[in-house]
Amino acid sequence: MSRLLTIAVREYLAYVRTVGFWLSLCLMPLVLALSSQAPALLEKSSPKPVLTIVDLATPDDCPAEVQTCLYDPVLSLRRTVEDRLKASTAYVVVAPPAPLRAARTPEAVGAEAKRLLGGARPPGDGRIDAAGVVYRNNGRIAVDVWSRDVADRDLTRDVQDAVSEWMRRVNLQAQGLDPMLATKVMAERPEMHAFSPKAAGGGAVTDRDRLPGLIGFGLGLLLWSAVMTGAGILLNSVIEEKSSRILEILLASASTTEIMGGKILGVAGVTFTVLAAWAAMGTAVLGHFAPALLGDVAAVLLSHGLLAYFAAYLVAGYLMYAALFAAVGAYCETTRDAQTLLGPVMLILAVPIIFMGQAISRPDAPLLQALSWVPPFTPFLMAARAASHPPAWQIALTLIEMVAATALVLWIAGRAFRAGALSSGRPSLRALIGSVGRGDETRAPD
Amino acid sequence: MAAALRLEGVSKRYGDFEAVRDLSFEASPGRILGFLGPNGAGKTSTVRMILGLSRPTDGAITVLGVGDARKVRDRIGFLPEERGLYRRMTPVDAIAFFSQLKGMPRAKARRRAEAMLEAQGLGEAMRRPIKALSKGMAQKVQLLAALAHEPELVILDEPFAGLDPVNQMSLEAILKSLAAHGATVVFSTHVMEQAERLCDQVVLIARGRKVFDGGLFEARSAAPRTLLLEGAVTAADALALPGVAAVEAQAPGEDGGLRLTAVLAPGASGQEALRAAFARDLDLTRFELREPSLYDAFIVLTGGARPEAAR
Repeated sequence: MSRLLTIAVREYLAYVRTVGFWLSLCLMPLVLALSSQAPALLEKSSPKPVLTIVDLATPDDCPAEVQTCLYDPVLSLRRTVEDRLKASTAYVVVAPPAPLRAARTPEAVGAEAKRLLGGARPPGDGRIDAAGVVYRNNGRIAVDVWSRDVADRDLTRDVQDAVSEWMRRVNLQAQGLDPMLATKVMAERPEMHAFSPKAAGGGAVTDRDRLPGLIGFGLGLLLWSAVMTGAGILLNSVIEEKSSRILEILLASASTTEIMGGKILGVAGVTFTVLAAWAAMGTAVLGHFAPALLGDVAAVLLSHGLLAYFAAYLVAGYLMYAALFAAVGAYCETTRDAQTLLGPVMLILAVPIIFMGQAISRPDAPLLQALSWVPPFTPFLMAARAASHPPAWQIALTLIEMVAATALVLWIAGRAFRAGALSSGRPSLRALIGSVGRGDETRAPD
Repeated sequence: MAAALRLEGVSKRYGDFEAVRDLSFEASPGRILGFLGPNGAGKTSTVRMILGLSRPTDGAITVLGVGDARKVRDRIGFLPEERGLYRRMTPVDAIAFFSQLKGMPRAKARRRAEAMLEAQGLGEAMRRPIKALSKGMAQKVQLLAALAHEPELVILDEPFAGLDPVNQMSLEAILKSLAAHGATVVFSTHVMEQAERLCDQVVLIARGRKVFDGGLFEARSAAPRTLLLEGAVTAADALALPGVAAVEAQAPGEDGGLRLTAVLAPGASGQEALRAAFARDLDLTRFELREPSLYDAFIVLTGGARPEAAR
């Protein structure tokens, strides 16, 4: 035990004493805070796109009863669409420039728009970044959207929504409804009340009831990152010891269990230090800027034993992956060697990431429940499902399954670690599997 | 006195390849044993089996009285052939760390590390990161790390490699001191002069088999004595001398003649050959009887693999 602790302390201090560790510790929350604000900052710093709507759908020679449409605040296409787009505040909506106004067919407008948008953006008035051309195609309303930005899908959707609203108004008016009334009817929304027996008050669902889902998702992600970071540190540490031949001396001084256990414990200490520091920083920031939210988060974490629930899956998940990564590291002298062996493991680790987001809205989806029983996914998906308070039997059985799977992985990894530490030459999956069977090196030393 | 290390019929196979075959030898306390052999002879496999790092396919190994070295690993010091230390650690931390792994309390381990480093002239470097030390200094630190816990059995794989002559002398003194204090030292080397200076016993292996086990004198006896003849002499002249079995090498001599190395038959007398050379009035400028060295014995016993070439 003392050897295990000696190795753990060395491993811990080896990372904690580096400048890089403290830089990562302090910079990561800053980067996270910046990235959460990035969309807003991006929008704030970017000029709003200048958009114009060209109406070719309202014929110049439309019947008298329709003529009013051009001036009607409710039925005018351009006015409806422009008002709707202005309301979104995402665009500056301007009247069509003269060349667009002069064109009378979609093709002609398109050619002018292409010319206007293709060159450098002209400064001052008269410049546009996008143009929506509304016209009739075989009796149906069609819209062509021209934009400088090929990737701007929001613009296309927003123009479509605005034109759709105009089409609804016109259709309702054609059915004899008062356009003003139609607008009012379309704006009507019921007063919604959500209830659930799982809500904190036993009835009405509040934002606080949705908090566990978000926290569960956050904890699942945190667990995934902690496992990946910790196992990654461990992998590099073992590779360093293998390549510098320290592993052979360690094996002559301590048992495989003590070496692996010490290293896993030491890196777990590093991971815990990082998580504790981030938790402290997060608490301080929330306490200062949103004390009420902090109270809610704390209440959620402390209710239903969620903290212990998360801790149990964190420990099991970390142990399982750390042992696996350590065993692989023992076979590799470079990170490139490790990448070839870890390819399948990384693919497995990607699966929970795909499904964790689903757990926010549908934590009890049958597929999520089924995947929760697969040991490599269990810690992450069970953490993400925490919000729905899975049945106690599921928690107990998945934890028992995790303990059994982790014990098996530790046993296999121990044999592989021992053989890998003494192996030489290029690592291969075959050698790794063979050495697990024998529990000894498979090749003579060089 | 019970042997500190005993191997009995030990073999090690990796699939179809037999790295070590039926190897048996003993090392007694207070003695220095040279474990010699060309590359690929099975030395590293044997050392790993002695340390309990890998299991013998056949045979038994007894280390410090027990059948599994892992049970007495605190009493063993080990220096592998390929050196490695934590580059960011300081020498004092590294030595203390490995001593702690061998069961030494932390405070005592640090005091011992500092004292050893001072004694070896590394006092000024003891708190510098190992990556800032010279290769020789780092190697010395690693050796000290293997010895700091005062082991009863010391296994050193090529301990002299990479050391300058002064540090080699210093290491020789350390090994002699360890043996004088009762420790058993087993070391492998390709530098035969060092083995000759240090070893009480030599075990030579080649292609996984033991080819010699005994004292230095016996080892040297395995190689024939030679005569160095120089002057106006031919190989036929040399072969005609009594006791000369073969002429091994010839090269131009310093005075324009030839320099021949003549191999004496076992038990043949060099004096008789000298007398015969005088009697036959051979024009010799040099006549030298050479006793075989461990190097010569190594070549003969290992079937011609020269130690340097074997590396």
